[in-house]
Amino acid sequence: MASPYLIYSIIFFLFPLCWAIYLAFTNWNLIAPDYEMVGLQNFIEAFFSKSVRAAFWVTYKFMLMFVPIVIAGSLCLALIIHSLPKLKGLFSVGYFLPYLASGVASAIVVNGVLSYNSPLNTFFRHSFGLDIDWLGSPILAPLIIALMMAWKFMGYYALLFLSGLESIPKEIYEAAEIDGAVGWKRFWHVTVPMLYPSFYTVTILAVGLMFGIFTEPYVLTGGGPDYSTHTWQLEIYNQAFEKLNAGYGTAIAIINSVVTFASILVFRKVLEKWGARHGWE
Amino acid sequence: MKKKGFTKLIAALLVVALIGTGCQGQNEGKNAKGDGANNVVEIDFWAAPNPTQQSFWKKMADGYMKEHKNVKIKVSPMPESPSSEAGIQSAIASGHAPVISENISRGFAAQLAASHAIVPLDEFKGFAELISKRQMKETISGWKFADNHQYVLPIYSNAMLFAWRMDVLKELGYDAPPKTYSEVIELGKKLKKKYPDKFLWARADLVKPTWWARWFDFFMLYNAASNGNNFIKGNKFVADDEAGVKTLQFFSDLSKNDLLLTREATDPFENATAIMVDLGPWTFPYWAEKFPEMEFKQNYVLSLPPVPDDVDPNNVKTFADTKGLVIYASATKEQQQAAFDFIKWVYSDANNDLAWFKQTNLPPARDDLSTNEAFASYLAENPQLKQYAENIPNAIPPMDNEKTVEIQELIGKEALNPVVKGQKTADKAWEDMKKAINGVLK
Repeated sequence: MASPYLIYSIIFFLFPLCWAIYLAFTNWNLIAPDYEMVGLQNFIEAFFSKSVRAAFWVTYKFMLMFVPIVIAGSLCLALIIHSLPKLKGLFSVGYFLPYLASGVASAIVVNGVLSYNSPLNTFFRHSFGLDIDWLGSPILAPLIIALMMAWKFMGYYALLFLSGLESIPKEIYEAAEIDGAVGWKRFWHVTVPMLYPSFYTVTILAVGLMFGIFTEPYVLTGGGPDYSTHTWQLEIYNQAFEKLNAGYGTAIAIINSVVTFASILVFRKVLEKWGARHGWE
Repeated sequence: MKKKGFTKLIAALLVVALIGTGCQGQNEGKNAKGDGANNVVEIDFWAAPNPTQQSFWKKMADGYMKEHKNVKIKVSPMPESPSSEAGIQSAIASGHAPVISENISRGFAAQLAASHAIVPLDEFKGFAELISKRQMKETISGWKFADNHQYVLPIYSNAMLFAWRMDVLKELGYDAPPKTYSEVIELGKKLKKKYPDKFLWARADLVKPTWWARWFDFFMLYNAASNGNNFIKGNKFVADDEAGVKTLQFFSDLSKNDLLLTREATDPFENATAIMVDLGPWTFPYWAEKFPEMEFKQNYVLSLPPVPDDVDPNNVKTFADTKGLVIYASATKEQQQAAFDFIKWVYSDANNDLAWFKQTNLPPARDDLSTNEAFASYLAENPQLKQYAENIPNAIPPMDNEKTVEIQELIGKEALNPVVKGQKTADKAWEDMKKAINGVLK
C-alpha cells in the first residue's frame, strides 16, 4: 500500500506547490470568478518592486546580526550547561522556554519596555538626558528584532550544541592535553572542530529562519522605519492578504523560496569546506 | 523495484483523488441543503470574532427561528487568521463562503463587490422599508457605492471624536477644547511652555504607512476640513485639494511645534503624557477596568475634530469607524432572501439595536440614536456615548474602492509620514500623493 508519508507529502506539499506555481502566473485575487494568465508579469513586477528589494537586503542584514549572536550565545549557553555538575536537565529546559513563548506576546512586552514613557526610557531621559527612539531608528530597530529572535532561539540551538558537546569522546581531550592543548587552545582546536555537525545544523537553521521572520516586525515596526525591518513574509502577507493580490503575493513567495534555497546552498558549501579542512566529510 | 514504486504512486494518487471527490460531494450536498430539503432553508451566518457580537447574533437567530420554522440559522465566528478578511477570502476561494456575514468594512466590501462576491442589498424586496423602519436614511446615504448600489448594511457606526484632558486644559486656562487649527496650535504652545515634557497628541502611526491608521488621523481631520467631501469616487480622485493641503499643513505645524509624540507610548492619554487622542467608544470598557479615575467631563471631554480657521467649527464632519452586513453571491437565491428577511426582522425592532448597544458598546448605525426613546435611558446612564450617538449622521464612512489599501498606504508614504517627519512641505506632499494615487487608479 502507498506510504502514508507519500500521501501526506502529495496532499500537503506537492498539490499546494503546484497550485502556488500556477497562481503565480495569474492575476487572481482568490475571490473573483474570473482571472487572467499574466505570464511573467508578477515576477517582473516583483523584481522591480522597492519593497521586495528591501525585503531581499533586510533579510541579509538580519542574518549578519542574528547568526553570529545566536551561534555565539547558544554555544556559550551549551558550554555553561555542559560544565554544570548537576541539574543540567533543569537548566536546559529553562533556557529552552523562550523558544516556546508566543512571538506576539514577547513583541508586545518588548514594545512596552521600549515605549516612550516606560521606566527604562524615563530613567535614560532623567538620568542621562538620553532620548532614544529604539524602534524608530533604522539601525536600532532591526538590531532589537535580531536580539529578540536570538533570545528566542538561543536555548533551542544550545540544546543542539549541548548534544554535540556530550558526544565528543573524552579520549580526544585527554590526547589533546598530553599534546599541551589546554584552555583556549583546547577550545579552538579540539572542541570547535568536533562540534562541526552542530555548527552545520545550527547555522543552516539560523540562516533559513531569516527568510521566515514575520511576527516581530509585524507587531513592533510594521516593516519600518523606511523599510529597515521589512521582511519577505511581511511583503507576502501585505500583498496576498491585505491587498488581495494573491497571484503577485505567490510570485514573491516563490522568489523567496528560490533565494532561500540558493542562500542555504552557499552556506552549505562554505560549511562543508570548513568541515573538510578539519577532517569531516 | 521500479514497477513497485510506480504502482505505489498510482495507488497514492487514486487515494487522494477519492478523498477529493468525496469532499466535493459533501460540498455539493451542503450547498444543496438550501434548496428545499424539507423546505427548510439553511443559512450560515458568520459573526465577528468577538464574543459579545457572537452572543448577540446567536440570540437573534434563536428568536427568529422560533417564529420562522422554515429557516435554520447557524451562527459561527468568522476565521480570523491571519485576519478576518483573509478568512473570508479563503472561504470564497474554497467554495465555503457563508450566506451572510457581519464585520465587513466599506473598503473590503468594495473589493468583494468588484469581484462580484457579494450582492447589492437594495435589490432585495423590502430594502427601503428596512431603511425606513431602522431610521437610517441619512446614515446609509454615505454608503452608496459608485455604481449606485448598497452592498453593505451598516450595523454600527463609531463617529470618531477627539478626547481632551480637561484637567490639563483647565490648568492652561481653557474651559472647552479648541475648535480651529490656530486655537489648537496656540493651546499647544501654552502646553509646551508649562509642561515641556507633555505633548498634544501621541500617535506612533503618524510616521508609519499602516493603511488603516489613516482612518483615525488623516481622514478624521480631512473630513472635517472638507465638510465630508469624497476622497475617491468610483475610480477618480476627487478630494478637495485646498482642504487636503490645509490638513497636511496642520500636521506639519503640530510637528514643527513639537506637539506630536510619534513614538510608541503606553497609555499616553490616560497618563497625561498627551492631552488629546482620537477616541472610539470601545475604549470606555478598557478605562472602566484599568483607569476608573477617567471621568467624563471631569478629567476628559469629547469633541469633533478641529477645522481650518476659515471653516465653520459647528456641524463638523468626522470619520465613521463602521462595519456592516453583506450577503454573498455564492449562496442560492433562496438563501440570500432568507438572510435578508432575517436582518430585516432584526432591525424592525429598536430594542434589538438597544440589546446590541448594551452588549457590544458599539453605537447602532441609526439617525435617531440620540433622540429615540428606546435608547434614552441607556444614554442617560452612559453620557459619554451620547456625543457619539448625536454625531452618527456627521460621520463619513471609508471610501468604496477596491484599491483602498494601496491608496491609504500612499496617503501615509507620500503625504502624512514625510510631512510629520519634516521631509516635505504640505503642498509637495499633496501633489506627490495625488500623482501616486492617480497611478494606482488607472
